[in-house]
Amino acid sequence: MITITHYTILSALLFSIGIYGVITRKNAIGILISIELIFNAVNINMVAVSRYLPQTEIYGQVFAVFIIAVAAAESVIGLAIILAIYNSRKKVNADEMDIMKF
Amino acid sequence: MVESLLFYSFASFILISAIFTVTAKNIFHCALYLASTLFGVAAIFILLNAYFLAAVQVLIYIGAVVVLTIFVVNLTKEITGEKPVFVRGNVLPALIVSALTATLIILALVKTTGGQILAKETLAVDFTRVLGKQLLSNFVLAFEVVSVLLLAALIAAITIVSKDPEDKK
Repeated sequence: MITITHYTILSALLFSIGIYGVITRKNAIGILISIELIFNAVNINMVAVSRYLPQTEIYGQVFAVFIIAVAAAESVIGLAIILAIYNSRKKVNADEMDIMKF
Repeated sequence: MVESLLFYSFASFILISAIFTVTAKNIFHCALYLASTLFGVAAIFILLNAYFLAAVQVLIYIGAVVVLTIFVVNLTKEITGEKPVFVRGNVLPALIVSALTATLIILALVKTTGGQILAKETLAVDFTRVLGKQLLSNFVLAFEVVSVLLLAALIAAITIVSKDPEDKK
């Protein structure tokens, strides 16, 4: 039988894969993609907790809705910044973006 | 039994595509693997009776975020050129950090009592109605703030990317 521990372990594994991606990628778009993996790990946690709690309170799902909205906003802003830096400096690697004033 | 089978197949699908997402050489393939990971997460949401969230996951994440990422990948030409430039660093520290994180969280989870809670028997209940009521009663302030946040993100993205007219002079 599947318990809440199964879902949280899946979420922990997805979270650490996302951390691996954030540390190894040098491409800024790759870092954003790995951050999306981390957001999804958190969402699995939230929905699993909401499923296994008393059923009239689905606060976990409400939180997941807000997390998805904030993640979409974060992704839009991040990609816009990457595109602006690429347009002015032709660079997409995060370790080359070392000058903030240009 | 069926639940276990579905859970293990979706979980392995998610983990395998997530590993491909962080190790794919071409950043475009990386975005496509992200889409398949998100599909797996949507399937897990359906398994958890969160049908509305599964639909939102497919619509917003796969329909908007992944498509936007692919747009930006295509607009930054150096990545999609003949030789996909894949720079990867810090592999050993990253492996250590992520393995430690996973081990610590899983150890804490396994040692926690109360992790063996089984879901109540009322399976396959649609919580969309409850979710809508919660969003418009208890969480209405956060709901409106999120809509303002999305509007701000929209305006900010347009402002950041648009060319500054002063630069051309």
